[in-house]
Amino acid sequence: MKSIILSSVVTALLVFSGCSSKEPIVDEKADTQTQEVKAVETETVSTENSTVAQNSTMNSDTSELAMANVERQLSSVYFDFDQFSVRDDMQNKVSTDAAVANGVGSAFTVKLEGNCDEWGSDEYNFALGLKRASAVKNALVAEGVASERITMVSYGESNPICADKSKECWSQNRRVDFKILP
Amino acid sequence: MKILFLSLMLFALSFGGDATIEVVKKVDSLPSVAVEDSSISYDDTFRLKFFKSLVADLNVISLFNVDRHYRTTHFNDTSVVAENKGMNYVLRYKLFEDDSGVLNIETKLISDDKNVLIKNYKIKSKKVYMFLSHAIAYDINEFMGAPSVAWMKRKVIFSRVVSPRKSEIVIADYTLSYQHAIVKGGFNVFPKWANKQQSEFYYTSLDGTKPTLKHIDIRSGMGRTLLSSDGMIICSDVSDDNSKLLLTMAPSGQPDIYMYDVNSQRYKRVTTFSGIDVNAQFMNDNTIVFVSNRLGYPNIFSKNISTDEVEQMVYYGKSNSACSARGEYVVYKARETSSAFSSNTFNLHLISTKTDFIRRLTATGVNEFPRFSKDGDAILFIKNYKQQSALGIIRLNHNKNYLFPLKFGRIQSMDW
Repeated sequence: MKSIILSSVVTALLVFSGCSSKEPIVDEKADTQTQEVKAVETETVSTENSTVAQNSTMNSDTSELAMANVERQLSSVYFDFDQFSVRDDMQNKVSTDAAVANGVGSAFTVKLEGNCDEWGSDEYNFALGLKRASAVKNALVAEGVASERITMVSYGESNPICADKSKECWSQNRRVDFKILP
Repeated sequence: MKILFLSLMLFALSFGGDATIEVVKKVDSLPSVAVEDSSISYDDTFRLKFFKSLVADLNVISLFNVDRHYRTTHFNDTSVVAENKGMNYVLRYKLFEDDSGVLNIETKLISDDKNVLIKNYKIKSKKVYMFLSHAIAYDINEFMGAPSVAWMKRKVIFSRVVSPRKSEIVIADYTLSYQHAIVKGGFNVFPKWANKQQSEFYYTSLDGTKPTLKHIDIRSGMGRTLLSSDGMIICSDVSDDNSKLLLTMAPSGQPDIYMYDVNSQRYKRVTTFSGIDVNAQFMNDNTIVFVSNRLGYPNIFSKNISTDEVEQMVYYGKSNSACSARGEYVVYKARETSSAFSSNTFNLHLISTKTDFIRRLTATGVNEFPRFSKDGDAILFIKNYKQQSALGIIRLNHNKNYLFPLKFGRIQSMDW
C-alpha cells in the first residue's frame, strides 16, 4: 500500500513538473537524472500600430509645412535645477509663444513636452517634466490660449538634446518643447 | 557577569531579524569552495566564461569563500586537484555538447573526497549558459540548507534608452548578462511584471498622442491597451495577487497616484496633493508608500488607502526620489549632495517601519533603481561610478554587495 502511495506521489510530481516550461526547472527527484534548464522563452513583439493614427491625420503636405512653420516660431522654455516654476527671464518667451499659438498657430493643437536633466529618478523625473509642461500651460492660458488646445506629455530624462556631462548641457535638458499637432 | 552576558544575548537576539541592522560576519568563518573544470567540448574562451559565471553565482549566494583560480582536471578523478586539497568543498563540472547542439553539464560537489551532491543539467543553446550557472548555484544553496535564493531564477525586465525618444524593452537574467529585446522600436518605458510567473508585463507607450499603458502576454505575443492619460501614465506596482495596480496618472496635468482594479477595469484616485506624488508601492492591503514633494523636496511617505492619513517615512536627506517596498522594509534612493553644477552622489538606504534605524547600503557614485526581490532577501540596483555602470546585488542578511559590469546604454527603468 505504502509503495502505491509513494509511486502516485512521484507520478504526480512528474506530471506537475512537466507543466512549468518558462523557468529553469530543477529536478528534486533524483540526483543523477539529467534535468533540462530552459532559458527565457520570448518573442519579439512588434511595436503596435500607434503611429498609423498619427500619420493618417496628416492628410496633406500643406498642413505639415504650415505646422513646421509654426513650430519653428515657438521657442523652448528652460527651468532651474529641480524646479518647475517658470523663471522670470522666460516670461517673455512664453508671451511670444502664446502670441504665435493664438496667431499663425491658432488652427492647431499645441503639445507641450516636458523634459529633465539626468539628476532625478525615473518616475519622479517624469512627474517633474510634466509639472514643467503644466506650468507653461498655465502661463499660456493666462496669456489667452484656450486650454482645450493644449496637450501635455512628459519624457523625463529620456529626451536629452545634449549628452555631455556639463552644467550647460544639463540646463539645456531642463526644458519644455513645443510641438504642433493638427 | 552572567546577567550582563544574558542581557547582551537578549539584545543581540531581539535585533537578529532586523535587516536595517548590519550583520557583520567574518569572511574567514565561511567554508571554502573551489571550482574545477572537466569540460570536453567548447573552446577555452567559452569554458572560462562559464567558469566566471559560476564563480560569480557562488559568490552571490554568500555561503562560501570562493576560490577564483581556474583549474582543470578529469571529471572522474577520485581526488581533487592538489591545490584544492585544503578546500571544504570542490565543485567539479563537465560541459559537453551533444549531437543536437544541446549544452549538457554534469556536476558534483565534493567534500572530504566524497560526492555530496551530484546533478546533471542541459540547456538548448550555449548562448544561454548563464541560466545553467544560476541553476547550479541555486541547487547548491538548497543543498546547504540556506534560505532560498529563488530570486536568482527570476527575470529582470528593463527599458533601455537607445537614442533620444527611442527605447526598447529588454528581458534579462538577474545579472543582465543574458538580454533579449522584446519590444523594439518606438518609445516604450516603465516595464513592470504583471504576474509572479513573469509571463506578462505592463509598460508605457509614448508613441501615440497620449501616454498609454499597455499589457503584453509573452507566451502568446498578444498586446492590449489598458488606459491612456494626458501628461503621464506609469504602472508603479502590481499587488501580490495581480488584481490591483498602483498607477501614476495625470488626466488633468496633475501627477497623482491611482489604484486600478484589473478585473473591473476601474480606477480610483488615492492621492490629491497639488504637487508631485509618484512611485507608489504596496506595503500591505491597506497601506502604500510613495514619493512626494509635499514638503518642498522629494521624500518618502506612507498612506492608508481608505483614509487621508499620510505619514512621513524618512527624516534623513533632502532629496529622496525613488523607493521600493517589501513587507516592513523600504529601500530608497537619497541624493547626498545638492549641486546643480557638478556630479552628485546618490546612495541607497534601508528603513524598517518597525524601528527607527536607517542602514546605508551603498557608499559611492550614483546608485539608482533599487528593486526588492519578491522575498525581500536581496535588492537589485544600478550603480554608476566614474563613467562605469554596473548591476548591483545587495544581500541584506549577509551584508554583501556584488557588482556585475554593464556594457550598454542608459537604463530608463527596471523591474525584477
